Amino acid sequence: MTRIRAVTVEIAWQLGRRRRPLMLWAIGLTAVAAIYVPLYPSIGGEQMQALVDSLPAEMTAALGYDRLGSAAGYLTATVFGLLGPALMLVFGIGLGARTVAGEEEAGELELAAAAPVRRDDLLAGRVIALHTQIAVLAVVTFAASALLSASVGLDVSVGGIAAASLGLNLLVIAFATITLAAGAVSGRRGVALAVGAATAVAAFVADAVAGMLDDGAVIEALSPFSWYLASDPVVNGVPLTAYARLGVVTLIAWAVAHDRFRRRDLGV
Amino acid sequence: MTTAITVEGLVKDYGSFRALDGIDLAVERGEVFGFIGPNGAGKSTTIRILLDLLRPTAGDIRVLGEDPATGGPALRARLGYLPGELILSGTATGRQLLTHHAAVRGGRGRDRIAPLAERFLLDLDRPVRALSKGNKQKIGVVQALMHRPDLALLDEPTSGLDPLLQQEFLALVREERDAGTTVFLSSHVLSEIEGVADRVALIRDGRIVVVDDVAALRAAAGQRLDVTFSGDVPLQALEGVEELQVDGLHARGIWRGDTTRLIATLHGLPIARLELRDRDLEELVLDAYRTEGTA
Ligand SMILES: Nc1ncnc2c1ncn2[C@@H]1O[C@H](COP(=O)(O)OP(=O)(O)OP(=O)(O)O)[C@@H](O)[C@H]1O
Ligand SMILES: [Mg+2]
Repeated sequence: MTRIRAVTVEIAWQLGRRRRPLMLWAIGLTAVAAIYVPLYPSIGGEQMQALVDSLPAEMTAALGYDRLGSAAGYLTATVFGLLGPALMLVFGIGLGARTVAGEEEAGELELAAAAPVRRDDLLAGRVIALHTQIAVLAVVTFAASALLSASVGLDVSVGGIAAASLGLNLLVIAFATITLAAGAVSGRRGVALAVGAATAVAAFVADAVAGMLDDGAVIEALSPFSWYLASDPVVNGVPLTAYARLGVVTLIAWAVAHDRFRRRDLGV
Repeated sequence: MTTAITVEGLVKDYGSFRALDGIDLAVERGEVFGFIGPNGAGKSTTIRILLDLLRPTAGDIRVLGEDPATGGPALRARLGYLPGELILSGTATGRQLLTHHAAVRGGRGRDRIAPLAERFLLDLDRPVRALSKGNKQKIGVVQALMHRPDLALLDEPTSGLDPLLQQEFLALVREERDAGTTVFLSSHVLSEIEGVADRVALIRDGRIVVVDDVAALRAAAGQRLDVTFSGDVPLQALEGVEELQVDGLHARGIWRGDTTRLIATLHGLPIARLELRDRDLEELVLDAYRTEGTA
């Protein structure tokens, strides 16, 4: 069996097993968009801006609410800045931890690893399946946001929503891969979850803090969350360098996962 | 032809704990080899090293002539494995799971899923996580043997199976052996695999205590003698009985010699009741442990 076939079989198996939960998450994300997007025409614009102006500036900046005055800013602050990433990170980090370390601790990895498949191929298949599921959710988020925005007449471009969705996809893939790598290295689901959640929260907080500072550029340069959203992709489109950084983080985490998983004792 | 398994000086440390302390094993092609030991002896550790799930601390290992650490998928394609603790979860049905395992092996074994399931009365259309322990174990057994591996490594295969299914399983092992599969199987309970194993190794605390064929172990184990006399106990006649205990008219002990000679010795004596039976090999295992312990 060729290696490509081995990886393909693993991807198909992983995706097949997770059809149902993935569908539920897709519904959840659609619901988020469905709750927030139609709300804007009724409360948005000047009214919203007035509300934001009445709040302390530090607070609105930290939450990204200083952007609420425009439709694009509203979408950025709600769907793409808060609930979208929160839900998708919970999904990606949870699945990243389960995919290798969780199954290893439970003893489920035993048969897969004893099969005539290289460990590298087993891992690659699982990483790709993880990325695919996140991408599916990102596409769902894009489609729901774009359709709902159009139907309620929000003044945002489809290209902008696509750019933000791509960033969301890359962001969540990066943290999910970091989580999976921590599990592939340690074999412990708890360690994987801790590393994934801690790095994601740190990135989010750093980005929020950077927004409150007069000169937050240094922090923004370091936080993957800032790479994702600081340049306002819904308005300005894809920030190539920043998104490339998210991709590089993913590749580094992926490589680290292989390096250790290939060599270590499994299930100890 | 190379041996099925050759292990020399195998050592495995978990951190500072030495789980295997210099194991030597040689399993020939075509035999059914039993690997017997109590909890924590090192059975699973040994088997998992043979599959390259664990990497040895020291020692030389050949599985079907190859080092598991470098044999890779090509070597594992020739192996079958039943884990000691089989965990099956998820919503996949038995059929889906087994079909997947066949797909991983390039489709090998797919045609045997249905007949083996039928033989073991296995419902392939239920989700595996809803199956009882015994039924999960059946899935594991089918998965380990369906592709007719050159070498099957079965870690406590009979655990969870009821006596009838144990017999069915042992019959299957014999058939697979006759079809050319070498079978290496572990158990704590020697009697469970006694009927199928050609040779056994006894392992304890990470060391091999005894390796022998079952018939020789059986002979060495001797028979338990239990005799009640109707007159005085003729101690002289009972010379040669080991671990002799006399209690009134009742004598018991272990007889290792020729059975005919024992009967000749007892002939003509006033005997009320006589029982002579094979010792459980477990007792023998305990003997071996004791000897090892005092050595
Ligand atoms: N991951 C681990 N970390 C530390 N010690 C371990 C680990 N796995 C096994 N051991 C120890 O190594 C020894 C051998 O364990 P192993 O699982 O090989 O025994 P076993 O013969 O299969 O036992 P059982 O009959 O209970 O399955 C035991 O003392 C066990 O406690
Ligand atoms: Mg065991």
